[in-house]
Amino acid sequence: MAEQLLSKVLTFFFVLIIYLFIFVIIRMIYMDIRIMYKKKTGNMADAYLKLINLRRNLDFYVDESYEISDSEIIGRGKKCDIRIADSYLSAKNSRIFKHSGKFYIEDLDSTNGTYLNGEPLGDMAVELLDGDKISLGRSNFLFVLPKSTSDSKRNK
Amino acid sequence: MNKKTLDIRPLLLLFLLNALGIVVLIINKNEASQDLAVLSSIMCVVSIIAYVIIAKLKLGDPYLFIIVSMLSSVGIIMVSQLNSEAGKKQLIWYIVGVAAFFGALWVYRVLNKRLKKLTLIYYMGAVVLFTATLLFGTRIHGAKNWLFGVQPSEFIRIIYVMCLASVFFEPKSKGKKKLSKSAKWKKLFVSAFIAGTCALFLLLQKELGTLLVFGVVYLVYLYVYGDSKPFLVLNILAVVGAALFAVTVFSHVQERVIGWRDPLGTYENEGYQISLALMAVASGGFGGRGIGNSLPGNLYALESDSIFVVICEELGLMGGFAVLMLYFVLVYRGFKIALSTTNPFNKAVSVGLSVAIGIQTFIIVGGITNLIPLTGITLPFISAGGSSMVSTFMIVGMLQAISSMKGETSDELE
Repeated sequence: MAEQLLSKVLTFFFVLIIYLFIFVIIRMIYMDIRIMYKKKTGNMADAYLKLINLRRNLDFYVDESYEISDSEIIGRGKKCDIRIADSYLSAKNSRIFKHSGKFYIEDLDSTNGTYLNGEPLGDMAVELLDGDKISLGRSNFLFVLPKSTSDSKRNK
Repeated sequence: MNKKTLDIRPLLLLFLLNALGIVVLIINKNEASQDLAVLSSIMCVVSIIAYVIIAKLKLGDPYLFIIVSMLSSVGIIMVSQLNSEAGKKQLIWYIVGVAAFFGALWVYRVLNKRLKKLTLIYYMGAVVLFTATLLFGTRIHGAKNWLFGVQPSEFIRIIYVMCLASVFFEPKSKGKKKLSKSAKWKKLFVSAFIAGTCALFLLLQKELGTLLVFGVVYLVYLYVYGDSKPFLVLNILAVVGAALFAVTVFSHVQERVIGWRDPLGTYENEGYQISLALMAVASGGFGGRGIGNSLPGNLYALESDSIFVVICEELGLMGGFAVLMLYFVLVYRGFKIALSTTNPFNKAVSVGLSVAIGIQTFIIVGGITNLIPLTGITLPFISAGGSSMVSTFMIVGMLQAISSMKGETSDELE
């Protein structure tokens, strides 16, 4: 009789563990979705890149938007911060970085180049402004600086 | 820029569950509890290694494997306390299953570009396996579905999904948006032919549960990819007609329906299995009788098809729901993978595989609780049985492979 009771109590904990497990998994999934949602709306970062092309016209995977923090290397290679599997991109194609509150873009000697508002970049890094169009390989991005940052810049 | 650290909480809970299970088995004086303790520690080590490999090599979805491990652990503990030998075997099958998981993952990733063109090979493979089962198979409990100790239909399920996916998926064609009418109808008739042949073989083998899974997978494909409402309605009518025909003509189908409509009234004959199952579930109540305290009597196929009854009796309604929720999360991840992948063939395959796992769970759980007529089929990952374990692990391995290829070039370039 005692044994039966003991096994009943342990069974209770057994079921409890399964529920805890489900809770943990669902919480992990929920956090994942939240991070993805933030990425989509771009609320987190100082600036972000927004894809202009229709995604279904591209035969490789691109996110709708990418956050830009201090320094992001864009390319096809494994070491890039923003990795796009476009065969027209070089392994390390271009870099966007922040220097004393302003964002700059530079080309990393890529084969097909980096285009800012339709013009190819030279050796020098160029400052990025809100609404600039950046073309890398076959995808086109809009550079977006959220309101607060671009306003303060204008006041200076 | 991988900011995510490895989350080990689910692993810890998995170990805790296994440890608790072993303690319960020792309390119940299970004669093989020592062997089982050793084996289940091996299982824990295997699951850590697999979990870390998936996380470190960035093989996509981190949840699939751990959910499947949880389901298997619950299954192993429930099976071991009924039959310790079967439990030991099940643990070994789990380890083989993990190997099959990574095998399927690797093969699918490597062959991904070719897999979509092999419709004929899949079809031939399925027909050959079915014919071999019919010719050389052994008949166990009414269904002739065993071939040299394995159940081929479990593996044909995978081939069948791949075959239908390769017919149905639409390659991205630029410019031409819609398929021409003749191509569309060709697609529909080819798929109907494939599904029809497989259904015929399964009917000959008297494997009603698997037949139901195949049928539902086909209808889901028609619904998602068929692009033709009349054809879908026609098919649903055909399935309903075939079911009515089967009920009136085949005695073994008739038995199931009689048992389903009035299990207690036909307790002596057709309703025997379901009556026992219902009484067992009822005696479990809300909190269950406790692991090892079930009185299942003469319930047939206790460790395999009817394992859910034992779960309900020993873990209670709460335990039954917990297990169903695990399946729910698993199938949800499957559909999530289908939605997020960009390669059309991979999308089609992941839809089919997720539906196959989900509907299989529904059929056996619904059957055993008398929601639908009872048909014998295994409960994925929990039922004792090597073929079921290994083949379902392969399915999950394929889903994992698809989720791991999300960020890579889809193969429409060539």
